[in-house]
Amino acid sequence: MRNKYTFSKGVDEYFSGIHKAYLFTALFFREAFKKPFHLREVINQCFEVGLKSLALISLTGFIVGIVFTKQSRPSLEDFGATSWLPSLIGIAIIKALGPLVTALICAGKVGSSIGAELGSMRVTEQIDAMEVSAINPFKYLVVTRVIATTLTIPVLALYCSFVALYGSYLNVHAEETSSMISFYQSAFKTISFLDITTSVVKTLVYGFTIGIVGCYKGYHATQGTRGVGKAANQAVVLAMFLIFIEEVIIVQIANWIR
Amino acid sequence: MKKLKQRSINKEDSVISISGLYKSFGDLEVLKGIDFKLFKGENVAVLGKSGTGKSVLIKIIVGLLKPDRGEVVVLGHHVDQLESKELNALRIRIGFSFQNSALYDSMNVYQNLAFPLTMNRKNLNKKEVDEAVEEVLEAVGLTDKLKQMPSDLSGGQRKRIGIARTLILKPEIMLYDEPTSGLDPITSAEIIELINEVQQKYNTSSVIITHDLTCAKNSSNRLAMLLEGKFLKVGTFDEVFDTNDEQVKAFFDYNFIQ
Amino acid sequence: MNESPNKHAVIVGLFIFIGLAFLLAGILIVGDLRETFSRKMQVFSLFDDVGGLQGGNNIWLSGVKIGTVSNLNFFGKSQVEVTMNIERKAQKYIPKNAMVKISSDGLIGNKILVIYGGTENLPSVQDGDTLAVEKTFTSEDMIKTLQENNSNLLAITSDFKTLSHKLVSGEGTIGKLLNDSSIYVNINSATASLQIASVRAQQLVSSLVVFSSGLNKKGTLMNELTTDTVIFKSVKASIIQLQQMADTASLFVTNIKYAGSNPHSTIGVLLHDEEAGARMKETIKNLESSSRKLDEDLEAAQHNILLRGFFKKKAREANNISIDK
Repeated sequence: MRNKYTFSKGVDEYFSGIHKAYLFTALFFREAFKKPFHLREVINQCFEVGLKSLALISLTGFIVGIVFTKQSRPSLEDFGATSWLPSLIGIAIIKALGPLVTALICAGKVGSSIGAELGSMRVTEQIDAMEVSAINPFKYLVVTRVIATTLTIPVLALYCSFVALYGSYLNVHAEETSSMISFYQSAFKTISFLDITTSVVKTLVYGFTIGIVGCYKGYHATQGTRGVGKAANQAVVLAMFLIFIEEVIIVQIANWIR
Repeated sequence: MKKLKQRSINKEDSVISISGLYKSFGDLEVLKGIDFKLFKGENVAVLGKSGTGKSVLIKIIVGLLKPDRGEVVVLGHHVDQLESKELNALRIRIGFSFQNSALYDSMNVYQNLAFPLTMNRKNLNKKEVDEAVEEVLEAVGLTDKLKQMPSDLSGGQRKRIGIARTLILKPEIMLYDEPTSGLDPITSAEIIELINEVQQKYNTSSVIITHDLTCAKNSSNRLAMLLEGKFLKVGTFDEVFDTNDEQVKAFFDYNFIQ
Repeated sequence: MNESPNKHAVIVGLFIFIGLAFLLAGILIVGDLRETFSRKMQVFSLFDDVGGLQGGNNIWLSGVKIGTVSNLNFFGKSQVEVTMNIERKAQKYIPKNAMVKISSDGLIGNKILVIYGGTENLPSVQDGDTLAVEKTFTSEDMIKTLQENNSNLLAITSDFKTLSHKLVSGEGTIGKLLNDSSIYVNINSATASLQIASVRAQQLVSSLVVFSSGLNKKGTLMNELTTDTVIFKSVKASIIQLQQMADTASLFVTNIKYAGSNPHSTIGVLLHDEEAGARMKETIKNLESSSRKLDEDLEAAQHNILLRGFFKKKAREANNISIDK
């Protein structure tokens, strides 16, 4: 009997999975700049992604702002430097927490829903149905969703940062009675244009990751309804994992530029 | 029940021509040398046990799967050698009715029906789309379900809408994947009737994949027995079952006992 | 419909994976891109104590970052060899005899290496050179030094304490000068003792004259005893010595009395001749002790067996005289 696997079953599947993911991503870039653009569907998906996560992100951002401020205060109090709190929070939230919290929430909420939706479309042959109707399902389903997440998550991240800063302001105001103007002034004092650009680039990458991972996992779902759950679950896990790796890389690259 | 009109079939005018078709998944060889011709205007039922590769056959015809070996010529085109654009042009001329209907869950009946049309014919205005939807709904007899979601429909209704969705593109060939599976005998009979109506009204040639002998008998001009990856017998119902072949007999008996 | 992955896809996937892994590792390891591509040279330095310096810490020259610490290695028995990566462009600003010290870039900041000093006209440092180290005080060193300072200060103050105490209490030459009234007290007491001693000596001598005249009478026990010439001679010698002593004492007393009548002269002597002062004191002390001894001797003589009878007789006569009266 011939050797069926190059290495072993698991390793082979892993590497061919990487190959498939690479082809998938390459196909996205090929298809994304070709007509037709399905603009209406992109807008629909943006609306879907944004609106679905808005309440959750508002709440989480607000709580992150308050909690982070509360937890940071004691260590600054040791130096008698509570006046640094706004700038510390500003840096932490705008540069790291806002984008990261938004990305993680969206990975959970949007990533899983894309994974599950495309997964169920795959196993119930809706994707095949589209294909035999001479509609490019990749373009209609994948490209539109990935573009939607890539565009929407930066907006959500900025919104999340703003809400988190507001939560932080409330806490600072309650403890140190500083005014909103002075809070925001010192919060943004140390934030440069590069920081904001980095944050936006970061969230664009996160958005793309969430979209492409969700779509990839859903698009290649197998094994019926069980595969749908697996696709949704793996979409979340893989997206979060990649987000952390990307965070490290982007911070590193931003440091080169600085 | 409307009987299928036995028309004179021009044996020279084949719409689908398959020769020496092989297809395997991993170590599992599903199709082992299929030779088959579908002539214009005829209905052919492909009979076989589950998992013998009946669905694989029509998926190869429509280009969803690629054959390992062999020639598949559909409407004068080699399916496995077409560019995606040409393939899509060909697919518009083929209707494919899925086993589980594969209606788009996120769209209502109207959107499901209008979707293939609007995606393929950009220059249609709303009135023309409405008229086309109305026409196919009338053909399947479900004009009152326009605004319902697929999940609100019964299995038979879903099958009808699925067929209607393929009809809206006015196909020349219809491929039915298990049109009567999961349906009670009365609904099955209705679907078979619909298949025959469609054949007359739209002047299609059809391939009907089924394991249901009644369906095969009533909806087809010819039968093909698919056993162990090969067409064991091709001919009229009487020709196929007037045989001493054990396997064909077993299949026949089993169906009638049921 | 589980398609087993074909070889081509597996190999391509493997290469993509390796490529991505290299890219990722590259991005993470490379660190500062510009720094990596700027030309570097290595300079060494030997420290006794690097005080928590770590690889990657910055190196400053005149407050400008010019490189990083690349490596720390133990060297010899207790030293640490610090390898520094320094940008080539900073080379010409570092003379060969520049010094290195460990500092920190803030109150609670990271440790940094500071290169400083050196003579301008010397050639600049070369790749592989070793720079001298100025020992900086670690906080431990500082506390140690402070401790030494403290103990020194303690010794100084205690010395000063005894000094001032002695000054006040009149010890030492300066003390004596400051408090020379005590000299007079001493001199006075010495003179008083001498006077007593000389009075007693005179009494003794006169008594002895009486005694010796009694001795000359024959038949008495004393006579018999004193006919032993040896004893007599010694007694006589001691009496003569006593006589001489009394004479010297009286002479000295007169001298002192003379000096005491002119106190200015004493102070003058003491001021101009410290030795004289010390000797003076010694003399006075000696005088005092010798006169006391003389006193004791005379006392002892009174109790002497040989002379007891004479003294008793004398006392009886004195009693009789008082009774007669």
